[in-house]
Amino acid sequence: MQSNQTFADVFKAGGVSRRDFLKFCTLTSVYLGLSPSMVPSIVHAMEKKPRTPVIWLHGQECTCCSESFIRSSHPTIEDIIFNLISLDYDDVLSAAAGNQLEDVRRKTMKDYKGKYILAVEGNASTKDDGVYCMVGGDSFLNTLKETAADAAAIIAWGACASYGCVQNAHPNPSGAAPVSDIIKDKPIIKVPGCPPISEVMTGVVTHFHTFGTLPELDRMGRPKAFYNTRIHDKCYRRAFFDAGQFVRSFDDEATRKGWCLYKMGCKGPTTYNSCSKIQWNGGTSFPIGSGHPCIGCSEPNFWDRGPFYSRLAEVPFLGSDSNADKIGVVAVGAAAAGAAAHAAVTAVKKAKAGNEDNDKA
Amino acid sequence: MGRIIEEIYVWRLPVRLYHWINALTTAALFITGMYIAAPLFNPPLGEAVLYKGFSWWRYLHFAAGFIFIANFLFRLYWALFGEDKYARFGGFRPWSPTWWGTPFREQVESYLFLRSDEPNYVGHNPVAALAHFVFIFCGSSFMIFSGLAMYGENNPGGFNSVWFGWMIPLFGGSYTLHFAHHLFAWIFPIYLIMHLYAVFRHDVVDRTSVTSSIITGYKHKVEEEPS
Ligand code: HEM
Repeated sequence: MQSNQTFADVFKAGGVSRRDFLKFCTLTSVYLGLSPSMVPSIVHAMEKKPRTPVIWLHGQECTCCSESFIRSSHPTIEDIIFNLISLDYDDVLSAAAGNQLEDVRRKTMKDYKGKYILAVEGNASTKDDGVYCMVGGDSFLNTLKETAADAAAIIAWGACASYGCVQNAHPNPSGAAPVSDIIKDKPIIKVPGCPPISEVMTGVVTHFHTFGTLPELDRMGRPKAFYNTRIHDKCYRRAFFDAGQFVRSFDDEATRKGWCLYKMGCKGPTTYNSCSKIQWNGGTSFPIGSGHPCIGCSEPNFWDRGPFYSRLAEVPFLGSDSNADKIGVVAVGAAAAGAAAHAAVTAVKKAKAGNEDNDKA
Repeated sequence: MGRIIEEIYVWRLPVRLYHWINALTTAALFITGMYIAAPLFNPPLGEAVLYKGFSWWRYLHFAAGFIFIANFLFRLYWALFGEDKYARFGGFRPWSPTWWGTPFREQVESYLFLRSDEPNYVGHNPVAALAHFVFIFCGSSFMIFSGLAMYGENNPGGFNSVWFGWMIPLFGGSYTLHFAHHLFAWIFPIYLIMHLYAVFRHDVVDRTSVTSSIITGYKHKVEEEPS
């Protein structure tokens, strides 16, 4: 792959018309939430700027992020962008392997020092020097640190790289840690989700390519354009939530009517993602659309906030699984028992004091 | 029963009003909050747009929440600027070791039946002051901050999201903050039990009419019973 071609060059070589190219730029600006006046900047960047080199690392992960990324709704457009990022290193997608491939990574790191984007899928094991995740003969922990050192910015793909996902769910045997726990001195864009929506992924890359800056991030380091609002806020079942029309079990009448899944443990009200806006597979549907509650896969540590089908999480308490209400009832019971015991002692003491007084009299 | 020797005006009207507004809004918040977490009532039949079955409960929670907040702020104002010697923060100095000294120890010992006499306080005794600090001051502050953070979630960039939204990453996400808000809601019934017990017990043991004092404002000093 030649890294200094522009997107427009590659579009042309691929037989894409100028009209389709402009369509792509416009669509991208919509996904990024930019005003129409920004479209020329995107066109300009796509035409004039050499493609941004990307090194894509895979740590402890399931590759669902890549799967999402390569499977997009509008094949021409998404396939094109997939072909267009100058994806210089991706050990899962490359034909090359072994030393040959590792050399490419090192060369890109040297040639584009401080300019390339490091895209990380998965996270690193930090226990026992990271031996639980070895890639290309070295621990992923080392590879990640080495490759991050000269990157312009890091994109943490998916829940794994952003927060840790299932690998660092309790009890986290391999000491899995998200990228932000390991790399402290580089800007990191978190794109959580298990996996993230493909248009969100391409949108983030395009933003960086167009403006040369990171997209605006929220307090948790996620691009605001996609993670600013909760699933709940744009959910088409919201009217049922407000009306109090809830599904109570998966085979009831309400399920058939498509009422709100809040009581079935839907995490939509606490999950920041674009599923209810952009949806999946080219706007076909999203989990709630298919009648399944949101499990909150783009929220930190969602595996440990289970069970998925109840609203209140279970947490360990006095050696067993409890939820906030069970803990509350135990604590209230303890307070009541304490008060009753104290009252009893007070009464006994008073009676004794009374007797003594009587004895004296 | 001994003779009343002295009548002391302890709880001035603003303090009594604060107390009852706080009691009512906290009860309302607890009940509506629990309903929000687990809506029970059967759903209405018909078009969703015609009903506000659940948003009504949430509306009540938020309305009670804002009264609760205003009342809390008023009480802070009163404690700092009210020049009310029984309702100010003045005496409460938990950072200073002397505060934890003799009076506090004596009160704890008395509650633990380690001494027979009851230290007598006109206002709050030191243990009561500490309980109020933990449950009412810290507890309410937490409920207010977490509540406003969640309240601001539907309007990113708005006032509540800018000023209180930092609570969300602090607690590791919106869900955990909901969980904490829900868990800490339970401190209020716990406090209620301890509070009512302590008040009734003091009334029986020291006979200072502390129970009626929160309605009338007056506490009494009574003569020691002739022994
Ligand atoms: C004594 C004080 C309070 C108590 C006992 C209380 C209790 C609760 C409970 C139990 C919940 C359900 C949590 C869940 O499982 O999701 C809740 C939710 C909530 N509370 Fe409170 N709360 C209090 C004060 C406040 C205040 C001052 C506000 C600020 C306006 C507030 C705003 C909220 C919000 C926004 C929710 C989430 C509603 C939703 O998810 O639809 N709360 N509260």
